[in-house]
Amino acid sequence: MHAMGSEAPSEARVVRLAPGCNPARLPLSPAEGYLLSRIDGATPWRLLREIGGLTPEDVDRCLERWIDQGILLVADGAPGPNGAKRSAPPASPRPAEPPAAAAPAPAALASRPEEAIDASLEIPVEAQRRILAFEAKLDRPYHEILGVAKDADARTVKRAYFELSKEYHPDRYFRKRVGRHGERLERIFRKVLEAYELLADPTTRAEVQRSLDAAAAAPPAAPPSPPTPLSVVARPSPPAAPASSAPPAPPTAPRPRAPRISTAHLRALAQRKAKAKTFFEAGMAAFQASRWLEAASSVRLALAFDPWNAAYKESFAGVQRRANDERAKQFVKEAESALELRQPKEALRLYEEALHCVPHEPEINYKAARLALVLGEDPKRAKEYAARACELRPEVPAHHRLLGQIYKSGGLVANARRELEAALRLDPRDAEARQELKTLGRG
Amino acid sequence: MSRVIGIDLGTTNSCVAVIENGQPTVIPNTGGYKTTPSMFAISQDGKRLVGHLAKRQAITNSRNTVYASKRLIGRRFDAAEVQKSLDLCPYEIVRGPNDDPRIKIGEKIFTCPEISGIILREMKRVAEEYLGEPVREAVITVPAYFNDTQRQCTKDAGKIAGLEVMRIINEPTAAALAYGLGRKGEEKIAVYDLGGGTFDISILELGNGVIEVLATAGNTFLGGEDFDRRVVEHLLARFQEAEGIDLRSDPMALQRLKDAAEKAKCDLSSREKVEINLPFIASDAKGPRHLTLELERSALEGLVDDIVRQSIKIVEQCLRDASLTATDIDQVLLVGGQTRMPLVQNQVAELFGKRPHKGVNPDEVVAVGAAIQGEALLSEDKNLLLLDVTPLSLGIATFGGHFARLIERNTTVPVRKAHVFTTTRDNQSAVKIRVLQGESDVAAENDLLGEFVLNGIRQARKGEPEVEVSFDIDANGIVSVSARDNATGKEQSITVNATGTLSPEEIQRIVEENELYEVQLKR
Repeated sequence: MHAMGSEAPSEARVVRLAPGCNPARLPLSPAEGYLLSRIDGATPWRLLREIGGLTPEDVDRCLERWIDQGILLVADGAPGPNGAKRSAPPASPRPAEPPAAAAPAPAALASRPEEAIDASLEIPVEAQRRILAFEAKLDRPYHEILGVAKDADARTVKRAYFELSKEYHPDRYFRKRVGRHGERLERIFRKVLEAYELLADPTTRAEVQRSLDAAAAAPPAAPPSPPTPLSVVARPSPPAAPASSAPPAPPTAPRPRAPRISTAHLRALAQRKAKAKTFFEAGMAAFQASRWLEAASSVRLALAFDPWNAAYKESFAGVQRRANDERAKQFVKEAESALELRQPKEALRLYEEALHCVPHEPEINYKAARLALVLGEDPKRAKEYAARACELRPEVPAHHRLLGQIYKSGGLVANARRELEAALRLDPRDAEARQELKTLGRG
Repeated sequence: MSRVIGIDLGTTNSCVAVIENGQPTVIPNTGGYKTTPSMFAISQDGKRLVGHLAKRQAITNSRNTVYASKRLIGRRFDAAEVQKSLDLCPYEIVRGPNDDPRIKIGEKIFTCPEISGIILREMKRVAEEYLGEPVREAVITVPAYFNDTQRQCTKDAGKIAGLEVMRIINEPTAAALAYGLGRKGEEKIAVYDLGGGTFDISILELGNGVIEVLATAGNTFLGGEDFDRRVVEHLLARFQEAEGIDLRSDPMALQRLKDAAEKAKCDLSSREKVEINLPFIASDAKGPRHLTLELERSALEGLVDDIVRQSIKIVEQCLRDASLTATDIDQVLLVGGQTRMPLVQNQVAELFGKRPHKGVNPDEVVAVGAAIQGEALLSEDKNLLLLDVTPLSLGIATFGGHFARLIERNTTVPVRKAHVFTTTRDNQSAVKIRVLQGESDVAAENDLLGEFVLNGIRQARKGEPEVEVSFDIDANGIVSVSARDNATGKEQSITVNATGTLSPEEIQRIVEENELYEVQLKR
């Protein structure tokens, strides 16, 4: 407690984004991006430090840096360094309430409304005012964007969507001089569309409703959930953790209409974090006991529940490597027994499985290439493995000899000659390479 | 300000309309017809003929008369559809330098956008004669299932015709616009469009002047010509049975059979039985042979029943896409000449449990809708707005040849969607973003719209870097794609210039060449 006391002045401060700066252009880590997205001009510094992803010290450093860089401003009228109020919950904004007017939300980064109105454009001044006003409320709850009651039925939602479309769809001003309002209209329409899609679908609508309720019922000690959607690092879903033994395909596309609801986000985050921690601890125990595969899957689960946790990420890299080594070892073992059983095809498949785990193991690449050549099934793959073996261990003559043989079998004489000569340079006594080169010459 | 025309560029017939004093007017051509055959020919004496003039001599000059080229536009030469046309068309289709199908008439080779351009130019001329003033701008319709390349080729055709294409809209959407003009209520409508060459179904919602497309589906190779072909096959078989002569290799006979089949098909919409009479269709050692036979409506229905059923299946799929059942539909519009067939009307009525709407002319409604959209875009008081959708899913190719959809088909535009992707190899420093369009989960089976590389990704183990890919489609349907490395903030983007099959230079060359002919025609 006394340590915090020394930071009292900064802790109670409220920061907001400087107008005109585009945070999307900043080189930020996901955790920093997340922090930036939480800055709404209402959440005090103290709560920002607890938001997760970064340690409180890192949050301090980040915020200081951004203030120095002019990205953040310390909001006007922020509560002073009043020690007495420190332990009490923040007096001002209730969770679901929009940020105070003095502290514009990120969406309203543009300059002040009146400055954005340009009478020379082909949009009536009145309409320009409406556009600006609408843009300023884009971070409000969805039903407010559509201007309908929280419990409005589907037909009312659709009607509102149609009416707003008539006014804000970019086609309204087709080929008109609209200046910066063009972007605004696109932004507005997209948001209106998003609101309509979410509220018109009973499933997503229930989710929106739940998140609003959760925000309203949040206990005072919980971090206030600003209504600003994750506009800076908008991500439909956390990135999926890499796949295990299968080739690590990138995450698949998001579900359509995946709701992006920040109000529920923090609350759900806390639950997910707790779960993540359990998995992580189990993973570490398995790691201590050298049960690498188990450790990797536990840590992967932890990451799936708390993708921004830097510590998990860091240890995941290590655990994953050990697990991959372990898995590869098993595959190689199985491949060798398959060879003993004279099942070369199966052996090749197993070597390839091993390569998925440890693609940069020259010996396995070499073995896979040799098998693929002998089996004569897929010369492209054989070439790929052999080339990788050469790349990884260019000093081994056998690697070049094999690659040469593969080229030769594919009729690429010049390439074959180059590789076979390389093999001979490395080992002038390589009779096999010499023989291959000879027959190549004749062919 | 000059007026905007709406053009329905059909597979078999085209139609042009304009808005006059708030009322849509379909413009008749010089012959007094409201539709013009989408045909182009070069006559024996080297004259260029378009429309009815081309159709009239099509029999005697079948090798130099082009029809249904819309089936070829924007496709690759090796596409199954093109290969199918190779067998069926009396004119010569050759492989172009860009792997596109081109049409050879005499010594001259035409690209498909060029042929469409010639037809569009004719429609422009029809409108100009009627209006007595030059026309510069047009809204052109395409089947809902046209992909980006086909749309771009249609735009190129407009350019070749000397038109500025304000927008390309979907045919069924245009029909709904024509129906929705001036209507105040709220209703859901289905547009069943069975034209000469393509079939489309769209489900739309109307609400006080706003038209929202809920879902579209279709088949670019299902249309009235398939009906004709079935009848031709039937006639060929019957003739061979009776006379022992195979007419398949005789282009003149084939063209006559095609014309007769089309006529019989149309007549059978209002009659129960027709007689087909083609004297001197062939001859052998025994002298000239004539084809004379009767065709009953029920026989025709038997020949094409499965084609109609196929279309009904697509309708059911489309309803599912829109999360609707047939009973949710308040009104059914029929578009395209083939919907005059009682069998089609009956099957549609049976599916929806109600008779289709009678108030629109199936041949003209699409052009009218296109003109309405042109007018609506330019007018000051906006009482009509079309909320259009993107017809095909958009996404990128991912590891293992998969297709990750970012924007699902039938998504309202403008729209923006983003998703985070990652690397597949350790220390991978670059990712290639291949932008694709289509419905297959296999990347290679979809159309490639463009590609770019994002470099300078932070060195890390596979699966760690985060690359946020976002898709943006603006109201004009222009797609831009960007990729951003969340760690370094590095960003790379492209605007997907839907590539047609022609380069700007080629289009310019064709425009200039055709201007010469324009002078010739007027002389």
